[in-house]
This record gives sequence, structure tokens and C-alpha cells, in this order.
Amino acid sequence: MKKLQYIQGVTITIILFISIALLAQNALAQVQIVTSVPDFASIAKDIGGDKVEVVSLAKGYQDPHFVDAKPIFVTKLNKADLLVYNGLELEIGWLPILITGARNSDILVGNSIGHYNASASIKDKLEVHTSPIDRSMGDIHPGGNPHYMLDPRNGIPVARGIAARLIKIDPENAAFYEENFKSFVNALKLKISEWSEQLAPYKDTKIVTYHELWVYFLDWAKFKQAGTIELKPGIPPTPSHVADLIKNIKAQDIKLIISANYYPQKTPQIIAQKTGATFLALPTMVEGQDGINSYIELFDVIVDEITSALKNKKGL
Amino acid sequence: MNSSRNFLILIIFTLIFSASINHEALSDESSDVKKELQELRQMMEQMQKKIDALEEKNRALEQQAKQKEKLVKEETIIVEEETDLTVIEDPVQENQSFLSKIQNTFNPEISVIGTFAAAYYSQNDPIVFAENDPENTGVNVQEIEVGFKSVVDSYFRFDLFLSFSTEGVELEEAYGTTLFSLPLNSQFRIGRARAKFGRINQIHRHNQNFVTLPLPAAQFLGEHLNPTSIEANFLVPVPWYLELSASGGSPDVETPTFARDENANDIGKLLYIFHIANFFELSESLGVSLGGSFATGSNGTAAGERSNLYGIDLFVKYRPLKNNPYQEVMFQSEFMYLDAQTPEETLENWGWYAELVYRFAKRWNSGFRFGIIDTNTPVREVEEGVDIEPSNLFTSIRNEEGEEEEGMLGLLGRTYRLSPMLTFNPSEFSQIRLQYDYLNQDFAENQHAIFLQFQYAIGAHGAHPF
Repeated sequence: MKKLQYIQGVTITIILFISIALLAQNALAQVQIVTSVPDFASIAKDIGGDKVEVVSLAKGYQDPHFVDAKPIFVTKLNKADLLVYNGLELEIGWLPILITGARNSDILVGNSIGHYNASASIKDKLEVHTSPIDRSMGDIHPGGNPHYMLDPRNGIPVARGIAARLIKIDPENAAFYEENFKSFVNALKLKISEWSEQLAPYKDTKIVTYHELWVYFLDWAKFKQAGTIELKPGIPPTPSHVADLIKNIKAQDIKLIISANYYPQKTPQIIAQKTGATFLALPTMVEGQDGINSYIELFDVIVDEITSALKNKKGL
Repeated sequence: MNSSRNFLILIIFTLIFSASINHEALSDESSDVKKELQELRQMMEQMQKKIDALEEKNRALEQQAKQKEKLVKEETIIVEEETDLTVIEDPVQENQSFLSKIQNTFNPEISVIGTFAAAYYSQNDPIVFAENDPENTGVNVQEIEVGFKSVVDSYFRFDLFLSFSTEGVELEEAYGTTLFSLPLNSQFRIGRARAKFGRINQIHRHNQNFVTLPLPAAQFLGEHLNPTSIEANFLVPVPWYLELSASGGSPDVETPTFARDENANDIGKLLYIFHIANFFELSESLGVSLGGSFATGSNGTAAGERSNLYGIDLFVKYRPLKNNPYQEVMFQSEFMYLDAQTPEETLENWGWYAELVYRFAKRWNSGFRFGIIDTNTPVREVEEGVDIEPSNLFTSIRNEEGEEEEGMLGLLGRTYRLSPMLTFNPSEFSQIRLQYDYLNQDFAENQHAIFLQFQYAIGAHGAHPF
């Protein structure tokens, strides 16, 4: 008899659990969006407004390549209707294993609407390797440099991709998403011409970067990359490389060294001190620093910091 | 704009008006008047010029505004072209390079990871606990792991790991995983897999933090516990991460604790493993995993005799995301308790290890591990007349002549090991590790060992260990 009661108790508990789970799922009428990095989250919020709930797995002040695959992320992906990620191997060390654990058909690879590899929308990828590559060249990505979101023009196709998927997932609010998409793109386009004007006087400025992170940005801003502090992508600098770089910076009269704010800052600071160049540790993603809450605000900060640093240098 | 124009007209009228008044009043003094008139004319001309200039400026401004409007209009037109929100891009990328074309064919991801260790042991015929620990003084192949990974279709993925050593090949893992949504948030793994028992058993050799396997894992699970089984995992909808796992299968490779019961044809005598895994994100920098495991199955000493293995695992990781993003501190610990029934007596053994690893730079980490195994039932000779199959629960003891004495059951006594290590990763794909092991056994001489381990990974970029 006691055993029977025990079994009954267990069964009731299990049923309770299931019903709580089902209730919880019904309560979530909003479209659940999970993004790998906050840039996509911010764009998704702009387009989805209050019809969506967005969460980003990585933080904006974190190296997106080295994110811990925390089990708690699985629970977030489990409930997601739409997954937006960067692709081009940026998240290869942590996202695939989370998707496998998520038990969620909606976000599986293939033709699922809920699986959005945003790099598919980027037409002009940089550093796509057409000749044989190997890892002695550093941590390179065969499909192209993955940091395309640092060209603000790429925000438009990505926004389009997100909007198109939201419309498929939640057709009732299609008009709402379309409206928001248009105003997002209009705002971004106006801003892009503003930033371009701001940057125009410094065309062809030579800049040293820490990592091959800025190629898309430099391409858009019409700057020239005059070297990286890293020996090769992902490989920290050696003393002889730093010495060469210092010589180079002096010889070419390079005024600016930039890096993402999550990379080590000691070496760039030393190089800046020795050469008289200015070193900027810049945010590279939304929420990369306090006060940056949207994709537009991100470039406001980046463009402002770079132009004011260059202005100061010119004044000297 | 209109108001400024009105203002200008007003000024002009005032000027003309005042000029005419002056003219009437001072008509007598003609020369003076002429002078003044001339002056006034000059003033008027200047004013006219100013007005012209202002008007021109005005026009230019208007034009600029119009141009801007036009630009915005043009932009909205472009936007409308891009606004075809009915098209969803193909995930296949355009402008494919030769290499990405190869990648996009149906080949599985292939990875090969080689682990070698140069070793020095302080004694001949050293005491080694796990199969892939360095075997002897000299340079040893620890493991060459070949992995093939791919989704099968939209329902399953399949993962295969072969472990090559000098002794041959072992099927380390080969299992399918369900990918689709199932009731109760369940997920199944079918095939041979590292069992969800504790933590270290789920971590491949090349992702472990030390050269040698922790003592309790080596003693109770063997190199790894990887039965062929059906495993169900349930993700319980609670605010933290909670996964319940249950698996049933057969240990078709003999392990130190479990063995196939050859004489039994009874699903009750298979190997059953249960695991509960919790993960708490205390802050963005601090995460804690806490788990419990239970495994029960026949141990091969005689028909119907079982081993019950209990485990508790704890893992704490502190990684400050904002400052020093590449530094982290990890603490990992497991406790295991075994009771093994045999025809002679029930053996009770336990073990515990704890390791602390500090990554002090992106490419460097250092750590210390303590491991201990002990028994409540010290080794004893099996009495004559007891029907007992030799199994891994037996211990081999050498007598003074160096010959092995048979029929000794259980553990000899307490063993503990201290292991400091230092690791350097030149890149994500290679690793050099230096480790010292101090082994203390209360029934034998102490053993010292130094290892220098080299590891290389080629092929697909694997998952970063967490």
C-alpha cells in the first residue's frame, strides 16, 4: 500500500511539473528571440518592439569567440522561436554544442525559419580565402572575416533578414515589423551619411589595429590598416614583432592604434607611448560600454572617438 | 524664411520713407542736400547689395533643403527595393570560395587530436592507474583521437570518436542524438557514449586539465565508462538549469566496477546510470554546477552480484567578464563511493579528488590536484571453495619473488596523489603541459613522476571545454 501511495505521489508531482511547463509556454505570447551577440539583439528589439522578447547570450564587452557554453544558455535556446547569430565561425567554439542541447526543432540548421545565420545576408565578405590556408596563418576563418557588423551598412541586410523571419514567424504583426524595419533603416542610413561626413576629412589615414577585427570598419571608413599588434590572428605579439611595429609606426607617422576593449591593453599602450600615437580601446558591440544601447549608438561612439583623436593629432 | 524676407522689405521701406522726408525738409540747402542724397544713395546701394546677398543665401539654403529631401526620398526608394520581406535568404553563402565549397558538401566534420607524453618515473614498472596515462619512463603515445561529427538529417546527429593507442583502436564513442523537440523536453542518445556519471567521465582526455586521470575516476570508472546504451535526458523547466538523465545498457567493455553478466539473460542485470545535473548562474562571472550520479549493474564476480556506484560532482568557474576577460579560476571536485557485492564479501571503496586551475593569461594556466582512494574492506585472499570469477575487483599483488599472487580481492589500502601542473597553449590548437605527480600508498614506496605532454589538434574547430 505504501509503495502505491509513493508512486501516486511521484506521478502527481510529474503531472504538476508538466502542466506548469505547458502553462509557462502558453504565457509567452511574445516571439522569443535569442541572439549570439548583443548587436543582433538590439536590431531585433528595434524591429520587434514589444512583440518580441530578446536575449543575447554573449555580453557586449566580451570576446565573442571565447564565450563559455554555460548550460543555462541551453534553457534559453530551448524556448527560442528565432536564433540569430553571426556565423563565419565566430561562435564555433560554443554555439553548436548549445544548439544540439537545446532540443528545439525551431532553431535547427537547414531550412528552419528560426535559424538565422546572419552572414548569409552579407554580400561582400572580406578576407574570403580562395587559396589554400592552414592554421600556421593564425586563427583564420575560411569563409571570410567574421566581424562584418563593424561596417554599419551591413546592419541593413541583417535587419532585413530579421524582419523577414519575424514576419514569417508572427504574420499577424507583419505590418508592425515592416514599419519598424523601414524606420530602422531610414534612421541608420541618415546616420551613415552623417558618420561618413565626419570621417571624410581623414580619408586614407593609416591605422594600426590589435586584431584583424576592423577590416570591415576600415573598408567603410576608407582608412588603411598599417599592421596588427597581434603577430597573426589570435597569436599574441612577440617582442621582435612589437619592435618592428614601433619602427613602422614611426616611419609611416601613424597616429592611431585601435583595439577592441576586451583585448589586452598593456602592449598597445606601451607601443603608443613609445611612438606618440594615440591608443583607443573601443567598444565593438552594442553594450560594449555603458551608454551604448543600440547599433546606432555604437557607431556614434566609435566614430566620435576616432575622429576626435585624429582631430587632436592634426591640431598638434 | 518668409519672416526674414518681410523684415528686409520693411527695412527698405523705412529707408526710402525717411529719405523722402529728409529731402522735403532740407530743400533749401541744396548743396548739403545733394551731398546727403548722394550719401543716401550710396547707403541704399549698399543695402541693396546686402539684400541681394541675403536673398542668394536664402535661395542656396532652400536648394540645400530640397536636395536633402530628395536624398531622403531616394533613400526611401532604395529601402523599398530592399523591403521585399517575403524573401528569406538561402543559408548557403554566395561567392563561395573553393574551400567553403568543400566544407559545404556532405562530409562530416573531421578532427584528429594527438596526445603524447614524455615521462620519468622514479621506479621500474611504475604504478599507473588509467589506460591512457603515460605508461613508462620514456615517450608515450597517450591517445590519438579521431572524431567524425555531423547531423544525420533534421532529426538526428551522429558523433563518432575513435581512440587509437599503441595497443589498438577503441570505439570511444559512437552515438546518435535526437535533435527534434520531444515531449517533456527530452533528448535521447543512443549508442556508445561516455556515460553521464559525474563530470570527468564526460570530458575527453584532450580537454582535461591534467596529464593523468584523477584517482577515483581511474579506480571506479576506468579510462572512461562508456556503455552502449539508450540514454534519456530531461530538461526540467525550472529557473535554473536542471537535467535528469537515465540510461540503460551494457558495459560491453569490462570496467573496474562493472562487467557483463555472462550467465544472465535479464534486463534487470544491465548497467543503469542515473544523473542529475544543476547549473546555477550566480552572476555573469560566477557559475556553479552541482550533480549527483548513481550507477548499478552486475560486476562479473558471480551471477547476480552487483556493484552500486554513487557520485557527487561540483564545478565552480569564476571568470570576470569585464576586467581581465581571459583570466579564470576553476574548481572541480568529485566524490565516489562503491559498494560491490561479491560471493566473498561486499567491498566498500571510496575516492575523492579536487582540482583548482587558474588561467592567469590567455595562453597560460596552472593548477593543483589532490586525489585519494581508500577502502573500508582491505584486500583479502579469497577463501578456497568460494565460487568467484576473476574480475577487475581483484588486485594483483607481487610476492617477494616478483610473481603475481592470484585471488586477492579488494583494494590494498589508502592511496593519495598530489599533482601540480603548468600548461601553455601556443594557439587554440596546440598545448604543452608540465606536471609532477607524487604518489603515496600506505602499502608501498612513494612514487614520483614528471610528465611533459604535447597535444596537437587538426581539422574541425572543436567546442571549447566548459
